[in-house]
Amino acid sequence: MQLIVELLLFGLTLGGLYAMVAMGLTLQYGVARIMHLAYGEWLIAAAFGAYAAFTYWQVNPLITLALSLPVGFAVNWLVYQVLLSPLVRRTQAGPALEVDSLLATFGLLFVVQGVMVVLFGGSYHSYNFAAEAVNIGGALIARNRLIMFGLTVLAGLSIYLFLSRTRAGAAVRAVATAPGNAPLVGIDVRKVSAITFAVGGALVAAGGVLASMFLTFSASMGVIFTMKALIVIIMGGVGNMLGAVVAGLLLGMAETLVARLVDPGLTLAVNYLLFLSVLLWRPAGLFGRPVR
Amino acid sequence: MLEVSGLSVSYGRHLALSGAALSVARGEIVAMLGANGAGKSTLLKAVAGMVAAHPGARIELDGRSLVGQAPHHIVDRGLALVPEGRGVFGELSVEENLALGAYPSRARAAEARTRASVLDLFPRLGERLGQQVRTMSGGEQQMVAIGRALMSAPTILLLDEPSLGLSPLLSHELFQALRRIRDTGLGILLVEQNARLSLEIGDRAYVMATGVVSGGGSAAQALDDDAVQRAYLGAV
Repeated sequence: MQLIVELLLFGLTLGGLYAMVAMGLTLQYGVARIMHLAYGEWLIAAAFGAYAAFTYWQVNPLITLALSLPVGFAVNWLVYQVLLSPLVRRTQAGPALEVDSLLATFGLLFVVQGVMVVLFGGSYHSYNFAAEAVNIGGALIARNRLIMFGLTVLAGLSIYLFLSRTRAGAAVRAVATAPGNAPLVGIDVRKVSAITFAVGGALVAAGGVLASMFLTFSASMGVIFTMKALIVIIMGGVGNMLGAVVAGLLLGMAETLVARLVDPGLTLAVNYLLFLSVLLWRPAGLFGRPVR
Repeated sequence: MLEVSGLSVSYGRHLALSGAALSVARGEIVAMLGANGAGKSTLLKAVAGMVAAHPGARIELDGRSLVGQAPHHIVDRGLALVPEGRGVFGELSVEENLALGAYPSRARAAEARTRASVLDLFPRLGERLGQQVRTMSGGEQQMVAIGRALMSAPTILLLDEPSLGLSPLLSHELFQALRRIRDTGLGILLVEQNARLSLEIGDRAYVMATGVVSGGGSAAQALDDDAVQRAYLGAV
């Protein structure tokens, strides 16, 4: 019984992080149509930011977390305006944009990673914050994981409510599903894309700060998070928020189960196993609709 | 009042529209007749800012130029386009499509009132507010498209082939609705395959052939015109 509660708690908390990070990427890819390969680098950059602030200046990571939202937003907005909007203009946001943005953000990946290696070296980093164990139903779990879970649920809910209940949210969905029709009702597609891309950046930065509280990380780990986020959004159905949440939780659960019950070395393998099985069963993802 | 003159558009080296001129006042329906490929859709798209016009074109809405404006700005100036194929947001609900119609800032103040009059015009939309638009019939989707365009509180409404794919009964119903829309004071520019129907409800008519616009007289005159009869109404 205790083991089950423990597995559930660990799986859900890890899955919550994956879900939140994947939501950011699915916003960027589904709405702005940018396949952002440097996505995970921003997660690691935010983790290092929280690490540095905490170990050098004793700044509470929760303060860094609050700061990471506007900073992540601003940085990704700039990336969109400076690096990506010339590509959007050149390709008329057509199919070529996907390939072009892939190449551009692939380059960006190395720039961001290089800067982090210069600043922090290649070794693993971690710090202790809110790591004391909390007893839930006989299972012990670190408080930072619970904080993280609460905040990822909050983030997921706010995004869901924004997208489904507000006019601006409907405009975002209109751009995601019918970008050619959006200008008919006065929607500025470029502006909505830039802002949505930036919101994705805010989410991944916040995810990075949260991850830094309980994970050990290094400058070269960003690509792992990009890959996991990609797996999650493809499993869930590209552009589908609910899909990202469900697939994220699924991935977190699967990794936790395998790591605890079988072998921690197999987490990456289970990633792909789950990914392949879902796609064999539903090629468009759990909540994706097959293209006509 | 929409006034267009000297409007030319090219696709590559193909001249699709050559010095088009027309006007649409508030409270009138202007029919635009013409064969397939005559440039009617291009004309509407150019006015709505979706394709670039040659330099020297004049497109004015109530005396203010629309030339070179982005499409999303033109909607906010009071000109709404219902394109061929409707351009609705199929993944979104009827309610959300209507709400997005009122996305431009000009529409916000009177939104509740406009919404009530749209639902009065198309009662079927009121019954199906929660339905996803892509699951609706062609006629219902056309109502969503027109209702959504009305939600932006336009002074001029451009319609591209609204009856395409609709049954004669539905087309007739739709054209009655257009008449009621005109009576609220909007100006409507109607591009239609169905020449007879559009001349029946139209106040004035233009004829378009290979990128050139002519005519502009009353729709009744056009109905009587031998050339128009032969070309578009199937008379021999």
